[in-house]
Amino acid sequence: MNAVLASAAVVVRRVIAASAEDLFDAWLDPEALAQWMRPGTINSTVARVEPRVGGAYEITMQGQSGPIVHKGVYRVIERPKRLVFTWISGPTENKETQVTVDFVRVDKRTEVIVTHEQLPESAMPSHRNGWTSGLEHLDEACQKGLIG
Amino acid sequence: MGEYQSARLDGVFNALCDPTRRAILARLTDADARVTDIAGDFPISLNSISKHIRMLERAGLLRRSIVGRDHVLTLNAGPLAEAQAWIEKYRRFWEGRLAALDAFVTAKNAKKRKRK
Repeated sequence: MNAVLASAAVVVRRVIAASAEDLFDAWLDPEALAQWMRPGTINSTVARVEPRVGGAYEITMQGQSGPIVHKGVYRVIERPKRLVFTWISGPTENKETQVTVDFVRVDKRTEVIVTHEQLPESAMPSHRNGWTSGLEHLDEACQKGLIG
Repeated sequence: MGEYQSARLDGVFNALCDPTRRAILARLTDADARVTDIAGDFPISLNSISKHIRMLERAGLLRRSIVGRDHVLTLNAGPLAEAQAWIEKYRRFWEGRLAALDAFVTAKNAKKRKRK
């Protein structure tokens, strides 16, 4: 059995009219994160960031029913192409998940691709490719409405 | 409860990450089917079909009832809904964050341009 495929992934993309550098930097700058890492029901966000591989971050979103803490460690920092970090929070049941952000130039704009995976620690990082292809199929299945 | 739920979710996702198993589930959305019928639909051995079916059973995605000599399979969509909920939650979250990142960076760049 392939343990590498033992999880789910969400892939979300958006083309933004800005440079890859500007967009990349917004992920590692605490002041920028405080501005845009703030979903609708959140009153304020405080971010602490150690922007180096192995460095930790903590993003605390002040919600109406108390703070929601998100934390993790940077695994890949490849400005301005790719950022990979672990993501642990109440909503992930304090289980380690992984977020990969890819920045791809499209003419003068940049496509930002977020892949959030329920990745078991043992599967990292050499099995990345196997993972991604399996998950693309899963994603397709979800799109087609096979799931749910 | 949380631990139990995520272990079950892993099983569900694992079961879904295979085209043959997804095809078996798709087949069962139309109607219940016998194991032998399903085996006839796929160009692989009965033995490997049985393995796929056991994985789907373990993930709670289908139920088997034995009627005389026939093993009849029924789709159980409950765990699929749970997996879908995880995916939907984070899809909405990241779509919202990317929209906010867009607004933040483009507004900042517009200000920069004005100052020049």
